[in-house]
Amino acid sequence: MAESHVTSGRRDKIVFILLILLVVLFLLLDVFFGSVSFTPSDIIHALFHTTKSPLNTIIFDFRIPKALTAFTVGIALSLSGLQMQTLFRNPMAGPDVLGISSGASLGVAFVILGFSANISTGGLTGLGNWILIAASWAGAGAVMIFIMSISSRIREIMTILIIGIMLSSGISAIVTIMQYFSAESMLKSYVIWTMGSLGNLTSSQLNVLFICVSAGILLSIASAKMLNAISLGENYAKSIGLNMKLSRVVIFVSTSILTGSVTAFCGPIGFIGIAVPHISRILLRTSDHRILIPGTILTGGIIMLISDIISQLPGSESVLPVNSVTSLIGIPVVIWVILRNRKYSGVF
Amino acid sequence: MTRDSEQILSINSLRIGYKSGKDENLLLPPLTASARRGEMIALIGKNGIGKSTLLRTIAGLQPSLGGDIIYSGKSIREYSRTDLARTIGYISTEIVKVSNMRVYDLVALGRFPHTNWFGKIDRNNHDIITDAIEKTGMSTLSWRFISELSDGERQKATIARILAQDTGILVMDEPTAFLDIGSKFEILHLMHLLSQKSGKTIIFSTHDLNVAMCQADKIWLIVDNRLLEGAPEDLMLQGEFDHLFDSSTMKYNSEDGTYSFITENRGEINVSGEGIMLHYTKKALNRAGFSVSEGEMLPFLKLPSGKCSRWQLIYGSSLMEFESLYDFITCISSSNPATI
Repeated sequence: MAESHVTSGRRDKIVFILLILLVVLFLLLDVFFGSVSFTPSDIIHALFHTTKSPLNTIIFDFRIPKALTAFTVGIALSLSGLQMQTLFRNPMAGPDVLGISSGASLGVAFVILGFSANISTGGLTGLGNWILIAASWAGAGAVMIFIMSISSRIREIMTILIIGIMLSSGISAIVTIMQYFSAESMLKSYVIWTMGSLGNLTSSQLNVLFICVSAGILLSIASAKMLNAISLGENYAKSIGLNMKLSRVVIFVSTSILTGSVTAFCGPIGFIGIAVPHISRILLRTSDHRILIPGTILTGGIIMLISDIISQLPGSESVLPVNSVTSLIGIPVVIWVILRNRKYSGVF
Repeated sequence: MTRDSEQILSINSLRIGYKSGKDENLLLPPLTASARRGEMIALIGKNGIGKSTLLRTIAGLQPSLGGDIIYSGKSIREYSRTDLARTIGYISTEIVKVSNMRVYDLVALGRFPHTNWFGKIDRNNHDIITDAIEKTGMSTLSWRFISELSDGERQKATIARILAQDTGILVMDEPTAFLDIGSKFEILHLMHLLSQKSGKTIIFSTHDLNVAMCQADKIWLIVDNRLLEGAPEDLMLQGEFDHLFDSSTMKYNSEDGTYSFITENRGEINVSGEGIMLHYTKKALNRAGFSVSEGEMLPFLKLPSGKCSRWQLIYGSSLMEFESLYDFITCISSSNPATI
């Protein structure tokens, strides 16, 4: 037994080292690829010379912030997906499927379409960023509370998924009505926002995003032990001494912050939240969230960096909306999970 | 009162049930019972009478509607959730389905109330986990995924988990349901060892009266809207089991502590013989609806003995012989009782 204990620990270590190497690799590749192409020596030159060359500007003001945004977004969405899957004991749970992202969108729509005339998301600064992000949290949080209150009464997994999908549809109907009555310029900035973008963040927005996602990561690390207990089911979790209310609050705040912050600045980015936790479970073969959380952080970052690289269409000058790339990567994983677990039981 | 110090659990006028809004749905009248250290207590009662609710209330998973539960002299209300989890462990009938969870991980979760905020498993915790796995005979399977275990193995892993929790009281809701007969006795044997050797108090619900009669030190019997407690034999001598199940179709045999169906009485037969042959012949006759009695005018059944290896039925001047009980029962069941 001791042997398997050790070998499993060793396997985890190897996986983590590989994941960290992949993070570094894809961060570099993401900086390297873009609509303006340059050679590796250009990058090295730019990194060590602080002169304001155009190359320098591209790398420091666009490529590096975008790569860091991609990495952060990947972490945030994947972590909130992992927590939701365990909290609802549902392999198909995720910020987008349960309507949490839609809730955040509604908050954003109120800000962009409702109140701030003539302001695009890119033009927001200082307090405006916090208003946008707070509206997004509120939207995400409201939906999360709704789903949590339903799931405490209805244990049927499919019912909750269907309610989540209905909520998403209802919210997009409301947003469509708001779009119908809004001015053309606001409409345009909202539509661009919905396509999802990693590259339009101002440096102050990037700071806000980092702060919020860091807070979300800390909360999710603090919830690791709780999540382990919750995976046994509510009865057993309580019987081994879990404070269910406190855990719900911690997970609720954590997922709302993570989903809301990302959605506020980068738009609704789908399928990362559902798919990545499954990928990290396959890689690490464990149910222990003290291992799954760091694993999901690294995997989520990597998958989002890959999505960003693909969306740049290396070698061409055009760019795809990152939202469609993540869907194309995530959907096969989700379908595979459904086919593998036709009974929707015991997946995580 | 030295014996009182051993008393680990007492429930006083406990009212169990569910609350929805202002309405209280009380399942049973107030219940009173107690348990001592190292006792194995079987909870028996009809389906739906509130056994699971009682166990869940005792384990602190569900608030009571009144009355009190006292653990080692302290009311359940004075325990924090963590303290309670260190005092009482709980196993439900719910099957834990978590993929990628190894037996070791499951058992490690038993240490939940003993570890720090991050659930760190240090050397000491690891030793306790390993010990719990060893005690349940799961050492060779400790690195298996629980989704790959058989029902019996999974139940053993669940018990290892509750052992790692290191509580004085173990509450188990139908621990042997769904198990095949071999696994059932393995689990019962394990429970017996835990109460005898480790001094754990085990409170378990069961439908298997035989198991309860043989294994339990004490029975909590919920019948006719009250909870009776006592040694199995006490309750039997008081005739309390007679009404446990629907008495229009089932009948309780107090000699061997079993239940049998009440069948239409089709006639009486006088049987001569002794020992195990008599016992099983009677059993077969009872099943077919015939009672055994002594009467001159009754058909007379002579059991195989000595040279004769056949059952001989003598009625009036006719004699019938049968190779086996099966043949005999088939014959008398198919014929009109009056003709025998």
